[in-house]
Amino acid sequence: MASITATAAPGVLAKPAARVLAEALGERVLALEDFRGDLAITVDRRGWVEAARLLRDHPELDYKLFLDLCGVDYLDREDREERYEVVLHLYSVSKAHHVRLKTPVPEAEAKLPTLTGVFKGANWFEREAWDLYGIVFEGHPNLCRILTHESFEGHPMRKDYPTARRHVLESPRELLLKVPPGSENLVINIGPSHPSMHGAFRVQARLDGETIVDAEAEIGYMHRNFEKMAEERTYWQIIPYTDRLNYCSSFMNGHGWALAVEKLLGVPAPPRAEALRVILSELSRVMDHLVCIGANIVDLGAITPFFVMFRAREDIYDVLEACCGARLTVSYVRIGGLAQDVPEDFEARCRRAIASVREVLDQTDGLLTKNIVVQKRLKDVGVMSKEDALSWGWVGPCLRSTGVAYDVRKDHPYSGYEQYDFDVPVGTTGDTFDRYLVRMEEMRQSLRIVEQALARLPKGPVITDDRKVALPPKSEVYGTIESLMNHFKLVYDGILPPPGEVYGYTEAANGELGFYVVSDGQKHPWRVKVRPPCYNIYQAYPEMIRGGMIADAIAIIGGLNVIAGELDR
Amino acid sequence: MGLIDLFKGKFVDPTYPGVHGGGDIITTSLDAMIKWGRKSSIWPMPFGTACCAIEFMAVAFSHYDIARFGAEVLRFSPRQSDLMFVAGTIVDKQAPVLKTIYDQMPEPKWVISMGVCASSGGFYRSYHTMQGIDEIVPVDVYVPGCPPSPEGLLAALMKIQEKIQKGQQAKEPQGAHRLGASGAGAIDRRARRDDWAKDDAARHAVGQSPRGRLELRVLQGDAKEEHHG
Repeated sequence: MASITATAAPGVLAKPAARVLAEALGERVLALEDFRGDLAITVDRRGWVEAARLLRDHPELDYKLFLDLCGVDYLDREDREERYEVVLHLYSVSKAHHVRLKTPVPEAEAKLPTLTGVFKGANWFEREAWDLYGIVFEGHPNLCRILTHESFEGHPMRKDYPTARRHVLESPRELLLKVPPGSENLVINIGPSHPSMHGAFRVQARLDGETIVDAEAEIGYMHRNFEKMAEERTYWQIIPYTDRLNYCSSFMNGHGWALAVEKLLGVPAPPRAEALRVILSELSRVMDHLVCIGANIVDLGAITPFFVMFRAREDIYDVLEACCGARLTVSYVRIGGLAQDVPEDFEARCRRAIASVREVLDQTDGLLTKNIVVQKRLKDVGVMSKEDALSWGWVGPCLRSTGVAYDVRKDHPYSGYEQYDFDVPVGTTGDTFDRYLVRMEEMRQSLRIVEQALARLPKGPVITDDRKVALPPKSEVYGTIESLMNHFKLVYDGILPPPGEVYGYTEAANGELGFYVVSDGQKHPWRVKVRPPCYNIYQAYPEMIRGGMIADAIAIIGGLNVIAGELDR
Repeated sequence: MGLIDLFKGKFVDPTYPGVHGGGDIITTSLDAMIKWGRKSSIWPMPFGTACCAIEFMAVAFSHYDIARFGAEVLRFSPRQSDLMFVAGTIVDKQAPVLKTIYDQMPEPKWVISMGVCASSGGFYRSYHTMQGIDEIVPVDVYVPGCPPSPEGLLAALMKIQEKIQKGQQAKEPQGAHRLGASGAGAIDRRARRDDWAKDDAARHAVGQSPRGRLELRVLQGDAKEEHHG
């Protein structure tokens, strides 16, 4: 402990998490860091589970919300003693604080005790870390491939795995469930190609009549390797990839990515860019919720509301298309601002979209909210408790439907959200109907934010003038030699952030979307880990449907809004 | 609009051979008639996996309205459909599923590969992404774009209608030779660096200099150098 207090940066020990762990674990705490406001605690792996449990249970800390767990490969890095590292991110709702817990794992003995006994949500994350890095989690109930397929050889996220080496899947896994011998239960597959599986994921259920006795989920049908690709791209080039994470609201992912990199660089975007980002993010949130609710209702057998809702989506597409030329995958964000300023008629277009959304919401309200069929299908279906939701790592509208008022926009305002007046709707029972109501209200609140932001939209540039981050304007590039050189250097070398690691997080449509970025000072990030909100939410799904009716399973999945691109990355 | 109305009056040129009585009577082959009916009532199976599926929704819904082309009856059962829209990235884990669904569709059937991911893997040149669905299923029309614009997709649908009328249909997976290709062209930088180091060491052992280094050869006085100048 003495060594830690000596080497720790000043002020770190003032943070409760650092102090409590340093006192309790003594020499097993290896390092304490505070970079860009992120508290990171490195512990020896002998103290891994104890540290996680302490963070969760200590009354002063209360880190009950499980966010993320991932591996990192530090191959050939001279500043590291061990090759691998496992990183855990937690959040304390009551103390409004994030913490990062890390532990080095040696290559010769890549093993770590499992955290599944501490956090329910750790299950799939540990499977993923094993799948992608080959780190064994001792005591894990089901350590098998999760994102890649069964015929896959090797662990692809390791630095010495060639990016493009593929393996052909010979025979897909028929049974995910264990069926007791002599059982007369029917085993059915829902997905990976099924109208109610929006995107591509698979659930296998064992049925007794119409009751689900047992269920298991499989993912990875959309694992297109965002994280591996990101390690070979510059910080700009990653922006189009982020658009395709949650493709229902592309802009918000880019927004989150830009903020994470800006946090790493310490370069803020100008106020006009931030206000425009807020406007477009909120409109994207509306788009996302419209698809979620519409698709949920389609699954229940009513297609009309979706036709009504999609009209509003088209009007928001118009706004995005006017700004950047693309409808869906916008790539409009840049590190340090936006690609270009909005068109002159931006405000008019936004107002038209707002009016359209308002009208559509009123119609939808009339069609659905008091509709007895919708109520009977959604009420008391898929109930989730507060405690379980936190332990699974639920965030966003799904978490808020259980009654936990955690919204990044309120608790950790970014992009100037503190200037706007808006409410955070919260549910009471945590059922599918609550999730529907929360989303409906969030859309109205989003419109309020957009209106306020439009009313006080600042003038000025839309991208930072830091020439190490943003390209100079074309007029200067053609006019002065310095700008030409700036342009050349920046395009050729890319953005060179300082070495370090940050966790940037924003409130995306499905909840806290985090980017854990590790930089070694080069133009490519060393490691990018997306904390996908859907991953935690979908993980709870098999447990939610167990014991329920098969028809309810379909009603629940639509309300969770699982997006495959974000789920599997 | 009934069949007879369509052929009457302005829709059919009365001077056209086979058109009699100003369009009241038409003589044609049964084959042409069936193809005409088939192309006007396509039942698509949307195999949507990713972003393109969202744009496909836009095409299907009221604003772009795929019903104008007679293709609005979306069937999620392959047994009831004759055109498959592959909308989105297909990864190696999904490939057997796509193949199964394609095989389950009754003949005749057509495939539209929507977007660059389905067509070529797009910008995901990686360990788990199929580099184009034509590795396993035949593709009739490829639509570029990420995602394609709705107009682009409708153009592809019209191309399929042309193909149906002409009786054309892709039969073989065009890119089958690429199935499971290891991406040898995209060797990892680290592996390449190691290969170079080994090569340099091997050449050094036999007294050669590393590859790529130019060396001046001193010509001997009596040596006859080939010279074609």
